[in-house]
Amino acid sequence: MKRGAIANAALIGVAGIFLTVWTFPVLWALLTSFKTERDVLAYPPTLFFTPTLGNYADVLFGATTILPNLISSFIVSTLTTIVTMGLAIPAAYALARLNLPARRAGGFYILATQMLPPVGLIIPYFLFLQKIGWLDSYKGMTLIYLTFSLPFAIWLLVSYFEDIPREMEEAALIDRAGRLRAFLYIVLPQVSGGLAVTVIFVFLNAWNEFLFAVVLGGNNVRQVTVAMFNFISVEQTMWAKLAAAAIVTMAPVLLLGLFAQRHIVKGLTVGAVKGGGRR
Amino acid sequence: MSKAGRVSLKSIVKQHGAFTALHGIDLDIEPGEFFALLGPSGSGKTTTLRIVAGLEETSGGSVFIDGDDLTHTEPGDRDVAMVFQSYALYPHMNVFRNIAFPMQMVGTGKGEIDAAVREAARKVHIDHLLDRKPGQLSGGQQQRVALARAIVRKPRLFLLDEPLSNLDAKLRLETRGELKKLQRSLGVTTIYVTHDQEEAMTIADRMAVFMEGRIVQVGTPKSVFDRPATAEVANFIGSPPMNLINASYRDGVVNIGAYAMPSDCKLLGHLDVVVGIRPSAIRLGSTGIPARIDLIENLGDALLVDLRLGDDIIRAKVGADLQAAEGDTVLFSAEPAHIHLFAADTRQRLNA
Repeated sequence: MKRGAIANAALIGVAGIFLTVWTFPVLWALLTSFKTERDVLAYPPTLFFTPTLGNYADVLFGATTILPNLISSFIVSTLTTIVTMGLAIPAAYALARLNLPARRAGGFYILATQMLPPVGLIIPYFLFLQKIGWLDSYKGMTLIYLTFSLPFAIWLLVSYFEDIPREMEEAALIDRAGRLRAFLYIVLPQVSGGLAVTVIFVFLNAWNEFLFAVVLGGNNVRQVTVAMFNFISVEQTMWAKLAAAAIVTMAPVLLLGLFAQRHIVKGLTVGAVKGGGRR
Repeated sequence: MSKAGRVSLKSIVKQHGAFTALHGIDLDIEPGEFFALLGPSGSGKTTTLRIVAGLEETSGGSVFIDGDDLTHTEPGDRDVAMVFQSYALYPHMNVFRNIAFPMQMVGTGKGEIDAAVREAARKVHIDHLLDRKPGQLSGGQQQRVALARAIVRKPRLFLLDEPLSNLDAKLRLETRGELKKLQRSLGVTTIYVTHDQEEAMTIADRMAVFMEGRIVQVGTPKSVFDRPATAEVANFIGSPPMNLINASYRDGVVNIGAYAMPSDCKLLGHLDVVVGIRPSAIRLGSTGIPARIDLIENLGDALLVDLRLGDDIIRAKVGADLQAAEGDTVLFSAEPAHIHLFAADTRQRLNA
């Protein structure tokens, strides 16, 4: 009994440390976003101050509005997610099911693309997009993001598809579903958790991406990460506005996460149920 | 539509790369039969079943069902239903939707599906579980759902792949009987794969014994048990397995070491043989071949006696009233009609 209590306390302590480390920057940004620039720079930092919504007003509707950039980011991230999932789902399914001779090599290649430092690719990508005239365009940004997100999504999804017993699909084939409906009705619903996880990762990566956005974007496609960067200039850094912009930028992703969480949890518990018709 | 369910396999060959899983399978299964494919694991029985189902391509040969060549027909177009060893239930659907799935796939009307699902569920006694998910059911209940999903569409052929192997021993015995009754009442041709010879013996009308990708014997359980075609079949069918002893043979008489044993074999000549005697056919008495009792195992209503004869151990199943102890030397014999003879080289049966 006592040992259990000690273990519990230790667990809560460790969890508390991790939680603090991870939530502190967010809380700091949240607090800062309600301060005036003067309060931000006050030393020692003030815990009690008169909150203002001025930063949010500026960031959303003022001269330094990031709304158009949010829309740009949303378009790029959504396009990237849709195209990635559209290609990754069939590709991952095929990799999981077919006995392709180059399967292992392919799997390693996919992983290797994730190890490449993105900085090394900026110049080739820039020249490439310039040649085909796709710089500063939605299709250009989406194409570049695909080079990272597609291999990653395939790699992630393959393991989910592999977890589904072949017999279940065979049962569906015998039950007169045919290949396509066996996939849509039997396989896909069972990887819904994996699909949700993948969508979040892909969307998040595109949403938070900065390096390619700043180099390959421009006046047409200026994503929110780039716009936020403009709050940091040579003369001064507008911390409060930056914080407000960060909070605004975080919001949609947070909503996506909360929405998908139910699916993720559901996806995980389906596999955990005793027996469950699976081996 | 005619739903006879006559299956005919013509020289089916299956190769996995350099490995040949099936060496030309020929088999005819009559309408309404409960037919078992029996054999040790890796003998090709499941592959054969999967070829009938259309889940596996053949490397050669043809599959006929009711006279139609279905060798290259999709599984869904063969009008067959299958129960998998793992049941392969759809975990995200409740029991009702699992059973309804094969009917929904061909666009059957809602009312008709509802009635058919409830009837199928009632037949296998799971009509109270229709709202549950497969994960909330016991193994036996899952097995019944798989059965209901197979019978709901009234196919012309049931394919059962070791359907009882995941159940515990007691439940397996119960379900075995129910399965047999269900098949009788439905009258649908059933192909049943099992590695359990006792299961095949009790449940099947006829069976085919598979060994290393070949069918070595087809017949009723009784005929296979009484007259095994090879020494391997003899050893595989029956529990405890048949005793196989190397011996020589001359004009109807078997010579085991220095002792002679008359058989009912009419073959003339002199040759090396393998003698097969079932443990239950061995008599311990005042005549016969002397052997020392190595071990006595009590089965309750019978005794299992290990007899040592030279380097061979011969197992005998005798009545519990045996008046001998371990270490004693006894005389054993067998009726000539119960002595099976196989050629030592080809392992084929010699007596008629």
